[in-house]
Amino acid sequence: MITAYILINMQPGKTDKAIEEMRKIENIQKISIVTGEYDIVVRVNTKTLDKLLKVTDKIQLIKGVSKTTTQVIEKEIAL
Amino acid sequence: MKIRKKYLFYLLAFSSSIVAALLSGVDVILERFLKNPWVLGLSIFYFGVLMSLFFSLIFSIKFKGKSLGSITIDPTFSKIRFFKKKEIIYHLLGGAGNAILTIGYFALLIIIKDPSVVLPFSQVVILYLVIIESVTEKNAPTLVEIQSSIIVTFGAILGSVSLTGSISIESLAIVFLVINPGWVLLSINQRKLKMLKIDNKNNDAINIRLWNVIFACFFTIIFTLVFDYYSGTNYFLESFYSSIKHLGWLILVGTGTFFSFVLYIRALGIGKASVTQAVKSSVIVFSIPVSIILAYYGYIDPITADPVLLLIKFIGITLILLGIISFALTLIKAYIFIKIKPGYPIEETLKKLWNINGVNRVCAVAGEYDVILKIRTRTLVRGYENILRKLESIEEIKEFKWQSVLKDWENI
Repeated sequence: MITAYILINMQPGKTDKAIEEMRKIENIQKISIVTGEYDIVVRVNTKTLDKLLKVTDKIQLIKGVSKTTTQVIEKEIAL
Repeated sequence: MKIRKKYLFYLLAFSSSIVAALLSGVDVILERFLKNPWVLGLSIFYFGVLMSLFFSLIFSIKFKGKSLGSITIDPTFSKIRFFKKKEIIYHLLGGAGNAILTIGYFALLIIIKDPSVVLPFSQVVILYLVIIESVTEKNAPTLVEIQSSIIVTFGAILGSVSLTGSISIESLAIVFLVINPGWVLLSINQRKLKMLKIDNKNNDAINIRLWNVIFACFFTIIFTLVFDYYSGTNYFLESFYSSIKHLGWLILVGTGTFFSFVLYIRALGIGKASVTQAVKSSVIVFSIPVSIILAYYGYIDPITADPVLLLIKFIGITLILLGIISFALTLIKAYIFIKIKPGYPIEETLKKLWNINGVNRVCAVAGEYDVILKIRTRTLVRGYENILRKLESIEEIKEFKWQSVLKDWENI
């Protein structure tokens, strides 16, 4: 199982509609609207890197998404 | 389907409360036939194990490649499985907690009878949870947590004034020394289990509940046998005869309790144990109609029309709801993206980051950054004092970016 964070930059005023589209993508586990350098942080769970690429592709095709940065998790410690 | 994480959390915790309130009504009816907490507790656990096993097997059935349990209740559930070695300690403690809590609860129910009195008493557990979380979860309680838990506790005490017009002081001992410590043991360990990774996947609520009931049944049998040995009673054998005699009611309780707990454990996986407990305190609101129905059918004493008593009860419930709302609305979440200087072992850095108060997820990642932290804090000041100052003191950190979460959604 591959888990990754995708950090997304948005064009102004397009966030709400983009979130609606992202909520339809199957492998997305969590979506957070954030303040700071990025606008949205998405947590993705896929079986293969190929599927992760497909999810990234789907996100990039959403209107208003101007840049994505994918961070694949190598090790995780959680409560 | 994705819904706001906050709403999912409320949906799960409130559903669990509604089922629990209805069950308390069934417990009162059952108490008429089984007038002993040991027999009542054991009989319920026998059927709890059977019904949990039955539903876990049903939920393991695959449909379009996914298990029924993952489609309907918990997306992390795959199939029924044996517990893992690393889970044993939490199952032992959680099972003991559930056994203590159940026997205490039935002892209280037999003394008081009215569920709208018994259930508010149990909500005092939030005080214990806030104290224990401050020790175990590396997070000192904030003013809001202390205020909210005190408001909920006082609300619960006021709310526990019986609709029939009495308040039982003797039962407070059972509440504070038996039921609530049992709840704490159960909640903390179930949360630990929910946070464990099993075969690299998140642990699921259905298997956690199944094994919790099995361990709780085991502990209840031991407690009952010890009690029988010292008091010369024969409750262990009596519980078998009673189980056969009241089959229908016990199946109903076993089924309801299973679903109530599965929803509760799912909620625990999203929020802190104290916050989940705060929302679940709404069980006392839902227990009022149950008490009214029970009084109407003569299972408990008739309800008073005294306006003072009704006012006290109303104030109690309002305080609990206020406590719940202030708890839920003051949690600040953020991501911190970190770049690490070359030449430092990553494992050591991860450990240092993990030891910071308020950090609840540390991810070593490949890409533009080296580490992503997920943090939860009650106030921004505390976030600065507990987290940013500590990050600044870690030598291997080259730079970091704080991104506060404004809104989030989770897949259900």
